[in-house]
Amino acid sequence: MIARSFKSVIWVATVGGAALACYMVSLRVATERADLAKVEHQILAAKREIRMLQTELGTRGRMSQLDDWNANVLALSAPTSAQFVRDDVTLARLERHDATVAERTSAEVRMASAETGAAAAPAQAAAEAPKPPQVVNAVARPAPPPAHPVLHQASYTPPVKAALEEAPKPEKAKKPEQHAKADAAKKPADKKVAAAAKPAPEKKVAIADKPAPAKKLAARGKPARHPAPAQESDAD
Amino acid sequence: MTAYVAIEPRLAAPAPRPEGLALTYHRLMLIMLVFAGVTMLIASRLLYLQIATDRSTGDTGLNPLIPARGDIVDRNGVPLARSIDAWTIAVHPDKLLGKPEELAVKLAQLMPEHSAGDYLKLLKSGKSFAYLSRRALPELVSAVNALGEPAIEFSREPERLYPQTGLAAHVLGWTDSEGHGVAGMEKVLDRQLINPATRGTPVELSIDTRVQAAMESELGAAMAKFSAIGAAGVVLDLKTGEVLAMTSLPQLNPNKPGQGAVDAGFNRATLGVYELGSTFKPFTVAMAMDLGIVKTFSQMYNCPTGLPVAGGHVITDTHPFGGPCSVADIMRESSNIGTAQIAAQVGSQHQQDFLRRMGFLEPVQVELHERGRTLTPGNNWGEVATMTVGFGHGIAVTPLHLALGYATLFNGGIRRPATLYKVGPGHPVPEGTRVFTEETSRRMRGLLRLVVLAGTGKKADAPGYRVGGKTGTAEKLQGGHYSGSAVVTTFAGVFPMDEPRYVVVAMLDDPKALPETFGFHTAAWNVGPVVSHVVSRVGALLGVAPDPTREPDLSEVAAYLKPEPAH
Repeated sequence: MIARSFKSVIWVATVGGAALACYMVSLRVATERADLAKVEHQILAAKREIRMLQTELGTRGRMSQLDDWNANVLALSAPTSAQFVRDDVTLARLERHDATVAERTSAEVRMASAETGAAAAPAQAAAEAPKPPQVVNAVARPAPPPAHPVLHQASYTPPVKAALEEAPKPEKAKKPEQHAKADAAKKPADKKVAAAAKPAPEKKVAIADKPAPAKKLAARGKPARHPAPAQESDAD
Repeated sequence: MTAYVAIEPRLAAPAPRPEGLALTYHRLMLIMLVFAGVTMLIASRLLYLQIATDRSTGDTGLNPLIPARGDIVDRNGVPLARSIDAWTIAVHPDKLLGKPEELAVKLAQLMPEHSAGDYLKLLKSGKSFAYLSRRALPELVSAVNALGEPAIEFSREPERLYPQTGLAAHVLGWTDSEGHGVAGMEKVLDRQLINPATRGTPVELSIDTRVQAAMESELGAAMAKFSAIGAAGVVLDLKTGEVLAMTSLPQLNPNKPGQGAVDAGFNRATLGVYELGSTFKPFTVAMAMDLGIVKTFSQMYNCPTGLPVAGGHVITDTHPFGGPCSVADIMRESSNIGTAQIAAQVGSQHQQDFLRRMGFLEPVQVELHERGRTLTPGNNWGEVATMTVGFGHGIAVTPLHLALGYATLFNGGIRRPATLYKVGPGHPVPEGTRVFTEETSRRMRGLLRLVVLAGTGKKADAPGYRVGGKTGTAEKLQGGHYSGSAVVTTFAGVFPMDEPRYVVVAMLDDPKALPETFGFHTAAWNVGPVVSHVVSRVGALLGVAPDPTREPDLSEVAAYLKPEPAH
């Protein structure tokens, strides 16, 4: 009885509920669509913005402007025909291996001071022995004027740093580096040490081996007998 | 008496009442139904709109990414012309709220291109609308907005922008305030650029921005150095006829075409015609070779110090031989006397025929509307005219003509029109017509390389790029007379000569002599270096690898390769 009298109400509620559910679905779809449209609108706006920015960038970086900058600041010029590689051999000659920091710092550094006289022979043998790249501090004293020992300075770095244009010189590469350096602790005559720039004689006697990487910087700079190319000296 | 009161049967009266009530109910029902119907109608319409409206495709009809006017790009896609939404500041003087005097002063401070008086006049004019500034910067817009005058209106209008400013200005042309092209390719392409169906795709021109920039900067530097009144330059792909660079100086900024020099709008490369002098000599020699008159480059001619011709004129040379000279000598030392004799042997009829087939007797073949009519001897094309035309006097053509002529001469002898469109699917390379034989074309390579290696064109050489070419110095006609003081100097070059690919033509109008050029104002001293610099800068970009070990076939001119001083 009650059910019958509420029948219409139930019907209305059912239909209303169904309609509401349908409407909710529709509303949801509409919301998604609106969101999608919004995103698409944003994409369009972004594309316009990109176009604007590209135009601005192109205008600011126009050829005449670049040309001005080049004329005033960069001063770059067109590559000459000599800078173009024409064949495989030329290309192969360009290959070079730059020493890494690890390779440069791991090189053994030796310091030696040499005196002319009886001890010369073994020292020279030691100096010319093919060793791994190293820095040797050699102090040499010329034989004819014994009162004025002259220092010999040379710098040398591994052959991997050899300049591109220069042909590799293997005989040079095998020689250890020789840095003549004032070493007050071992040398009695400080004044003579100061005259390091003079050419040293052939004979050099290594007196002491002193692995002292910290002194490497002090050792560079005054190549006397074996002036090393600039590219080599910066390996120190 | 008995009175009877007859009660009137009033029942009769209520009888129609139910009908009236029902009618009322019916009417009410009807009205309710109408209301319900209208409500339902509105509801269903809303529902339909809610469901059926497809918002995602609502704005496809007007894609904002398609510009109001199509883009123009170069052959590598670098934009040369674009449409942007620019800010426009306008004022409605009749709706002004503030004091015009104060506003005018403030406007003059912000936009100093007009005086405060001008602004005051404008603001008091009572017009309904006037532009204050078009293509205003956003900073200016916000500054003017800060004045707080409601009668000032800001809007965005599509404006044509040329991002490269003056680069290739004469090729691109410019637009008027309505947005229609009035010159250059803007005019040629006007319909295509406005048409909604085609404006979405950028138009690709044959211009290469890098080549164009190199040409403009080198030519501009030479023009300033030698105080020339104008200059023109063309770089042409000689196999396809594509114009990679075409410039006319003084420079013009198409963003503001009204500014700049008075003659800046004049395209010297296609509209200006000049007597291009000795650059014509290779054509004369090629004609003679095609006709079998010149068989070898060592063929001898008599080259006295002066060659008298009919009419009392005497043809002279700048550095006369005073004796016999060969064809190679004539070309190397740019001898007028020798070339005149070759031209006379070719004859007027053959010369005209060749020049017609080369397109030198008609406006140059290119898309631009700015094309100048060439000047020729016309009906007076007698022997003297033939001789002078042989060395480039008495005939005036555009620099682009000259470039096309060299392209014809060195691409195997086939003439093709110049084009400003990038050659591709939509723009195939035209078939072309044969002018010179392939043999002549091939043999001329050595002769023009000789001019650069050992003759007047030494300063145009770019190491490794095998430049060949010819200098030309022509006196300008001033008041009906040739005056030695004003000249037009030209260099027409081709590189790489062993396998010609590009033509470079540079021209200076009235360059002055400098102390460092030893008082000379000939082409060797002023435009020669321009060509050398341009080729050095663009050669590698255009895919020509410099190679000092390569040369064209020089066996025919080997005997003349001994160096001579350049003039």
